[in-house]
Amino acid sequence: MAKADGWPKKRRLLGTRVRRLDGPAKATGRAKYSFDINRKGMLHARFLRCPHAHAKITSIDTSAARKMPGVKAVVIIGVGRTGFVSEIDGSKLVYRVPPPKKEAKKKKDEIFTVEVKEGVTLISRNKVVKLSDLKPNDPVTVEAEQEAVGRELFYAGDEIAAVAADTEEHAHDAVRAIKVAYAVLDHMVSEEEVLENPKKKTTPGELEGNLSSGKEATKGDVEAGFKEADAVVEGKYGVPVISHQCLESHGLVAEWDAEGGLTVWCSTQATVAIAGQLAGRFGVPQSRVKCITHYMGGGFGSKFTPGVHGFAAADLARRAQAPVKLMLDREEEVTTAGNRPSAYGKVKIGGKKDGTITAFAIDCYGTPGYTGGATVNLNLLPYVYLDAIPNWKRSHSVALINAGGAQAMRAPGHPQNCILTEFAVDDLAAKLGIDPLIIRRKNLPPNNPKVKEKDPTAWLGRRNDIYNEQLDIAVRLSGWKEKWHPPGKGPGAGTLKHGIGMALHTWGGFAAGGTTPNECHVRINKDGTATAETSTQDLGTAQRTVTAIVTAEILGLEPTDVVVNLGESQYGFSSGSGGSTTCPSQAPAALLAAQAARNDLFKKVGPRVGADPKDLAIEPGKVVDTKNKKEWTWQEFCARLGMDEAKGKGEWSLALSNEDDNAGISSGQVAGVQVAEATVDSETGVVRVKHMVAVQDCGLVVSKLTCESQVCGGVIMGLNYAVFEEIIRDDVTGRQVNPDMEFYKLGGLGDMPKITVHLMDMPERGVIGIGEPPTISTAAAIGNAVFNALGVRVPILPLTPKHVLDAVAKRGKAK
Amino acid sequence: MKNFVYHRPATLAMALPLLSDKWGPTELLGGGTDLLDRTKDYVSGPDVVVSLTGIGGEFRQITPSFPPGRFPPAVTIGAGMKLAEIAENKDLKNSYPALATAAGMIAGPQIRNMGTLGGSLCQRNRCWYFRDEHVHCLLKGGKKCYAQEGENQYHAIFTAGHPCVIVNPSTLAPPLIALGATAKVAGPKGERVLPVEKLFQAPVKETQREHTLAPNEILVSVTIPVSVPQFARGCNASYEVKQRETNEWPLVQAAVAFHFEMDSKVAKGVRVVLGHVAPTPLVSEAAAKALEGKEVTEATAAAAGEAACEGVKPLSQNEYKVQQLKVAVKRAVLLAAGAKPYWSEG
Repeated sequence: MAKADGWPKKRRLLGTRVRRLDGPAKATGRAKYSFDINRKGMLHARFLRCPHAHAKITSIDTSAARKMPGVKAVVIIGVGRTGFVSEIDGSKLVYRVPPPKKEAKKKKDEIFTVEVKEGVTLISRNKVVKLSDLKPNDPVTVEAEQEAVGRELFYAGDEIAAVAADTEEHAHDAVRAIKVAYAVLDHMVSEEEVLENPKKKTTPGELEGNLSSGKEATKGDVEAGFKEADAVVEGKYGVPVISHQCLESHGLVAEWDAEGGLTVWCSTQATVAIAGQLAGRFGVPQSRVKCITHYMGGGFGSKFTPGVHGFAAADLARRAQAPVKLMLDREEEVTTAGNRPSAYGKVKIGGKKDGTITAFAIDCYGTPGYTGGATVNLNLLPYVYLDAIPNWKRSHSVALINAGGAQAMRAPGHPQNCILTEFAVDDLAAKLGIDPLIIRRKNLPPNNPKVKEKDPTAWLGRRNDIYNEQLDIAVRLSGWKEKWHPPGKGPGAGTLKHGIGMALHTWGGFAAGGTTPNECHVRINKDGTATAETSTQDLGTAQRTVTAIVTAEILGLEPTDVVVNLGESQYGFSSGSGGSTTCPSQAPAALLAAQAARNDLFKKVGPRVGADPKDLAIEPGKVVDTKNKKEWTWQEFCARLGMDEAKGKGEWSLALSNEDDNAGISSGQVAGVQVAEATVDSETGVVRVKHMVAVQDCGLVVSKLTCESQVCGGVIMGLNYAVFEEIIRDDVTGRQVNPDMEFYKLGGLGDMPKITVHLMDMPERGVIGIGEPPTISTAAAIGNAVFNALGVRVPILPLTPKHVLDAVAKRGKAK
Repeated sequence: MKNFVYHRPATLAMALPLLSDKWGPTELLGGGTDLLDRTKDYVSGPDVVVSLTGIGGEFRQITPSFPPGRFPPAVTIGAGMKLAEIAENKDLKNSYPALATAAGMIAGPQIRNMGTLGGSLCQRNRCWYFRDEHVHCLLKGGKKCYAQEGENQYHAIFTAGHPCVIVNPSTLAPPLIALGATAKVAGPKGERVLPVEKLFQAPVKETQREHTLAPNEILVSVTIPVSVPQFARGCNASYEVKQRETNEWPLVQAAVAFHFEMDSKVAKGVRVVLGHVAPTPLVSEAAAKALEGKEVTEATAAAAGEAACEGVKPLSQNEYKVQQLKVAVKRAVLLAAGAKPYWSEG
């Protein structure tokens, strides 16, 4: 990789408010999402799902369903083996299945024999075949429906079979015609039940019971720290499991072509990874699998893999030899497509009168569903103050329950960390009788002087300064000094209580790691137009606009002059959009691609206009020869390309960003401060958030308007987390009672506060991702505002009237 | 959704013979905001759907009548009137804000533009167990009410004697009952008129609905009578506690109606009706008695609220609704009397 020029010192478009390029297409419905794709002859697929929280299949019969009107294909989930034909003996097929690659040397092929009759499907080279079509050594996938008998299902919603039919209604009918009998098994759907029965086993995996406990760590001397404290507070705080509630549910349209290739229009955060995983599953070269995601209706971390639905859709499509659409319905989306795990913690915190926190101890647990790992980010607890608090102790256990498994969700572990820590910090401030601002200032993570010496722009060397500056800004924008009052001691004796609260957060936001860099390709045509191409996807984050801004900045164009083609896996490598890595990976790739295309243009046209490419430079709308003081309009200059085109490729990755030559192009680690102002109707328990201030650093701001928009989106998501959202499960049936948008609540327009966003401009740090950070501290800040309003801690989110009134009533009884 | 035969008769007379005399095989379609959900969720599976959207006349009119010297007027509202039309009707807004505001606060604009008065009164309950295809509760022929011991934060708090602890979902019923409205019902044997209050029952089995209509009857209209004596000022209001501003069911609702004689501040003819707290809209005699003949103040309004909770027996997760109900009654009384809402900002 050649040495990068870096970002232009003078920014013409970067960091300005450019309107989202695809705004009109989205607002008018012209933008086609996966849900909108309809292909000729397309079939519709539906799942049969287990209605029980835990059960075993005792019998299955699809024969009636297969005969239903319009039914073209059936897939049985969780059965089927892929191998090679060994022998055919009458109606018997003997086939061998090689061991997984890792164990290829140790293990031999496994041999299976199957009687080929109704309910047995044979697939070879992605086509359904008859036994007579096969000969020895042919590849074959054998799906014997009766092998589903005995399969254990671990949650209400677990997939059993999928059907493709000519209409969605026919698919529904056919699914209901599949006869399945179950042996219903014991289930547990609450964390508490798992904690009470640690040895009881109702979920898969190696554990003895459903509880994995005992991840622990300690720093300093916690007991001594508490002894040293002037005040110690103990509390139990928590937040339940919530759903991503993607407005566009998970799903795709899958279509095979005559050459054996597969195209999917998939609602995903990772076009390239999806293509790769489908290619692997169906034994097709990745070059023949195309994943298209031109527009995407929300993923938030839950759309990185094809999922059971993705594989099922492609499988149904190959069996039916027709395109298949499979989009989850709302109930499926909420119960099966991922969740943000719960987190509950017993927290003890001690501090001195001046606000110094002397010790912090937390023992927490949560559930990700029937599978998945940690539910907090344990390594970062106590959150934000980790390096400042001298003595801490933390432990975490995971309670598996009979519910759908977790998927990453916008800042995995961080919002939970933030709630568990920041609630305790404010409770301590109250007991010490000090302003929470003081306790925060006092315990901010210190600057690392060694880092600062080596790189004055690096976050670790200046984080204390950044947090302090952010607190200054947040205090000013929120009117903290005028509005803060001791908890429960607000002005006026009315029933409407006013409160203000704050919380801090941190995140990475580096370019994507991994060995393959993200690519972007820029082409300049002789008519002066420019095209930027990248396989990355725009999740609604405005990546399309970002790529256009960067390309236009370098080429002296307007963003609307650049055609951005994205969201197709064949446009070179890109990583999944997670961890706030997309902008810091893709903006530099676009920068380098545009600069390379510009250099190529100068190299090709320079000699034709009598200029040394070295002397050429771009100014808005024109190319200038700085030595000979000549200039050409952009159109005129590009026209001289004649039959040529100028092009450039840009590549970027975490490793490249760490090279000394590339300093200042992208980096990572951010701070953030949010302040919430809320009112609580103390008689009804209704909470209204009135104003949110979000102060955020993210290095060099590429697209100011959409960056602010993303912060607003994060705040709105955090507000819903604080006030409305909760997956509620019934212990008896083991089923979620609110798999909808009726009693699974999300705020509407009228519930939204004024949102004030302040982005700190730090161009010297290069581009840093903004996706995750602005949603982290919102809920904690709102929880603290409600505490400030009432003088009573509502310890468990969401801040429903029930939780508020119950907390007030409990305090009343305690007095 | 199960396939069904669809009829769209032009008159009530044509509609009536299409109905079955049993619950289940036929369903009436008004705005579709309830029935469509139920059929798509396989909670209801009618063989015949009779749409009432083609029926005009009285069914689709709001008709005020002004007896000489009396105010406010009597108003007859066709069962086919949209919620939005009720919310925006001038006569209703002026004279019966309890009804007009309640209609205007239901769900959101899309629902209010489709949903009808008849639908609001005759819709099925929103219990999440009832609405789950896979849960076989009392109202679906099962043996058990799952909410009694289960997830019941939104369920009834007046539960004594109720094997099924749903709340009646109608937000228009409490104000109509408070205003003394009557309902006109058409059936195979002709028309009958009954108090709106008598339109409701607490269902306990599959063969019962939340209302008392027979399966082959149709609600035609509702009439709010002239109830305020001459020279008196009618006061009425509805107050709902909701978590969200829009697209939200009330957690509790109180509708009140009374009148002031001449310049008096003494409440007379008090009616208090509670919504979303019991399997039926609940007339609270105790609350009415607490306020009757008293000057309306924060203290007497609060006392009415306390009285409204007489006999309350909350479930494991909804004690909070008792507190909210007290407050809702208090606030409804104060609103009806024209007091400045002490609970609002500024």
